Amino acid sequence: MIYSVVGHYSLILGLCIGLILVYFSIQNFRNFNQLDNKILSFSFLQLFFVVVSFFALVISFIISDFSNETVFNNSHTTKPLFYKISGTWGNHEGSLLLWLLVLTLFIFIFLLRTKNQPIKYKILTLVFQQVIIIGFFLFLILTSNPFNYLFPVPNEGLGLNPILQDPALAIHPPILYLGYVGSSIIFSSALAATTLKMVSTNWAIHIKKWVLISWIFLTLGILLGSIWAYYELGWGGFWFWDPVENVSLMPWLALTTLLHCILVLERKETLTSWVIILSIATFTLSMCGTFLVRSGILNSVHTFANDPERGLFILIFLFTLIFLSLFIFSVFHKPSQNNQANFFWLSKETSILINNWFMMYFLSVVLIGTVYPIFLDVISSQKISVGPPFYHKLIIPFLIPFLLMMAIGPKLKWIKSDLKDKIYLFSLLVISVLISFFIVKNFNANVLVNTILISAALYLFFITLRDFFNKKYKNLAQNIAHFGFSLLILSILFNNLFSSEIITNLKVGETYNGSKTKIVFESINQKKQKNYNSIIANFRITNSEGINNNLSPELRIYNQPKITTSEADIKTTLMKDKFIVINLVQNQDYFNVRYQVKPFMLWIWLSVMIISLGGLISLLKKRT
Amino acid sequence: MKTFKTLIIIFHLLFFNNLYANENSERNEITKNLRCLICQGQSVYDSDSDFANSMKILVDKKLNEGLSDKEIYSYFKEKYGDWILYDPGLNKNTYLLWLLPILIFLFGGAIIVKSFIFKK
Repeated sequence: MIYSVVGHYSLILGLCIGLILVYFSIQNFRNFNQLDNKILSFSFLQLFFVVVSFFALVISFIISDFSNETVFNNSHTTKPLFYKISGTWGNHEGSLLLWLLVLTLFIFIFLLRTKNQPIKYKILTLVFQQVIIIGFFLFLILTSNPFNYLFPVPNEGLGLNPILQDPALAIHPPILYLGYVGSSIIFSSALAATTLKMVSTNWAIHIKKWVLISWIFLTLGILLGSIWAYYELGWGGFWFWDPVENVSLMPWLALTTLLHCILVLERKETLTSWVIILSIATFTLSMCGTFLVRSGILNSVHTFANDPERGLFILIFLFTLIFLSLFIFSVFHKPSQNNQANFFWLSKETSILINNWFMMYFLSVVLIGTVYPIFLDVISSQKISVGPPFYHKLIIPFLIPFLLMMAIGPKLKWIKSDLKDKIYLFSLLVISVLISFFIVKNFNANVLVNTILISAALYLFFITLRDFFNKKYKNLAQNIAHFGFSLLILSILFNNLFSSEIITNLKVGETYNGSKTKIVFESINQKKQKNYNSIIANFRITNSEGINNNLSPELRIYNQPKITTSEADIKTTLMKDKFIVINLVQNQDYFNVRYQVKPFMLWIWLSVMIISLGGLISLLKKRT
Repeated sequence: MKTFKTLIIIFHLLFFNNLYANENSERNEITKNLRCLICQGQSVYDSDSDFANSMKILVDKKLNEGLSDKEIYSYFKEKYGDWILYDPGLNKNTYLLWLLPILIFLFGGAIIVKSFIFKK
């Protein structure tokens, strides 16, 4: 009770400080000799109030204070402490409070850490960021207050959706939000720089750090979500082109494009308009993501809370921000006349432009695929589904030249280049094609497409691998990231080609005898946990080489809410995952058993980590 | 370098020969492209709900009757509407869906060539 009051008033105070900050900033902007100390203190105070409010909610969850509506809706006394805490952001209100926390945290760090930049620029960035922050304060207080009071106080809460009670999903939102919300700084700072006409190489070097920070967190956030989907949703898939997954991929694509584009701007003053547009687009796409997920217009495995009124608020807020940024862009941005935007066809600049071109294409495929069904439904009330086949058909053909460009592009020099080692580059291509053909020809499925795809990915793999030995530490970050990407594509392709699966119905004690695999359903145990009962099935699986594996998938019957989940048992080795999951079949005494062998699963996760490691190295690298 | 490459080749050949093709692969391909209508964004293949299980049996039955995958898709489309297919066919409702990304790609290429490479 007391915590809710503290939390609620902290939010209101935070909002007031936002308004005060805007006022002081405008004052300070007029006589800008030095940054007013008041601005820094008030920013800190705002952060402090949001932190207080956030922890008030966390404590309400820990002590199971059911006079708080959010806690009542999303918690239960029998839940383990860890999931009581993670329940704080496992719901709409709490997750928005987390948004706000990251927003205020980032602007405070930005003000502290940004040196050698004009005062006017810092102040203006703060103002734009405050516009976003105030918007979110209003959104929180008006439509989704996390501290609503319930009377009479219920004795017990409704509990958290069991599939959210999972360690990966407990840290997934904070990491993802650091990425999403980190892009707000890029947005505010790009608008500030545009207004002050200081979009330059100097600014590019400064903002690149923030781009990298958001990019790393966004990459890791998406990875965690994907890992969670893999073992928790119980179908062994890790990416389904589901709208909510797409919505996190879109800012990632925009951010990756921006990251490459900034590399050009770092060196010469060109592509300025494009960099600004991308900065605006990244944050807008993050906001769109929030809108689509929170408004409930998406039909998705990951949508857990929805409410049309909130959707309307975010939509209006979103359009305000887009309008504001377009206004600033068109009024203040004048591309300079001495803009030497004339690139030689064979140069690093051109290859980066080609990267941008393809990335924008991928982005448009994902964006159109995600929103088109919604528009069609609204306009003609015809429902269509856009699923994996659509994305595969439109993306895979374009992935091939993209991978080849990823291998060649970094080898080119700035301004004007000549391709060296032509024979070497060509012979590697031939080798890649040969290897791919040998791998694929043992399988009947689609030899041509798979050979070409795997060759392109292998080519990138070989070239980047060779560069580790060749170039020593030059361009290490880039090389690691591209190497990781080739590994990712290879792992996904091999995983797709060589996965195998057995689906069968078994009773306890029965044996499934396949051509290569024997599955023995040995026994069943029951266990009682604090907030669920579990049924553990023990299987012994013998493969063609006579090697035994014991796997024990689980069914959990949660007490509150009453939901049954199946927990897969996964045996991960370097080369393949063995994945087994069971399901109850209604009114039958057997279980539905699904056993999958999935090669290179671990490498999919590892390669994404390698990609983000590339970003991290670039972030830590001292500029020479 | 050369030995390294040979090693990789040998490794791949050895490793992948052990693997085997899927049983029921035709049914799996089809059910992956059908939406489980009672689930939240899962395909029939991925879902273990009663609806999905009966759909799987139905697909098996249709395959046994000798229907091609196209005939099976149109059977489901007639019965449940476009919503059930994850692969939206090209028709008057979806021209924009399929063509807009390609147009954007061509348009982007034109901009790059015009304004950066052949700019006089």
